[in-house]
Amino acid sequence: MSIPRARLLDLMKARCQLFSTTFNPDGIRTGNKVLRQRLRGPALVQYYPGRLPGIKELRQAFASQGLDCIDEAEEDRLEHIEGLKARGKGAPKKKKGGDTAKGKKR
Amino acid sequence: MAMFRAKKLDLGCYVNIGVIRDHTKRKVFEAAEPERQALRYMIRNTTLPQRTRAMAQLQLAQMHAYTRPTQIRNRCIMSGKTRGILRDFKMSRFQFRINALQGNIPGVKKASW
Repeated sequence: MSIPRARLLDLMKARCQLFSTTFNPDGIRTGNKVLRQRLRGPALVQYYPGRLPGIKELRQAFASQGLDCIDEAEEDRLEHIEGLKARGKGAPKKKKGGDTAKGKKR
Repeated sequence: MAMFRAKKLDLGCYVNIGVIRDHTKRKVFEAAEPERQALRYMIRNTTLPQRTRAMAQLQLAQMHAYTRPTQIRNRCIMSGKTRGILRDFKMSRFQFRINALQGNIPGVKKASW
């Protein structure tokens, strides 16, 4: 004894309602597959490790609490500039009095 | 593309232009992913009118290359290399060997039998 298709469909419909699945007897492509996928971006972005705070950031963060440390690279740089200035090889001083004479006048 | 790149370096690993570029692509892809998925949904949905689907196809194709996930490639975080990367350690095979032998990778030791 064969069961009519309409009756089978009714059964399928009831089953879908019960288990809250989509009723799609013809197997039409609705693209729900795409909506079900998880977003991959957040995981992909975390691949490379982020930048850690340097001495400069640490000094800034702890300055309010009266804590300080020595930034050797910065001190070396300042010392080097001092030496240049002492030998008269430093960078020229900034011009004062606005930027009126900037570039050639046409 | 330089327009997507962070103004200040935000990487703590080995840095070369390839790594910066790849990191930028990852960030751009993350930002554009919802839009891409929405377009992909429209394209695959056969119940929508053909015209809408064709428009979505065009729009997806015209998005910037950096928004594409296929542009992303895993790179070695120790040397920036692209080939022979062990995904679990994010390292190229040679960097993995060096670091494993030095004992820098927890739980990894040389086996011999």
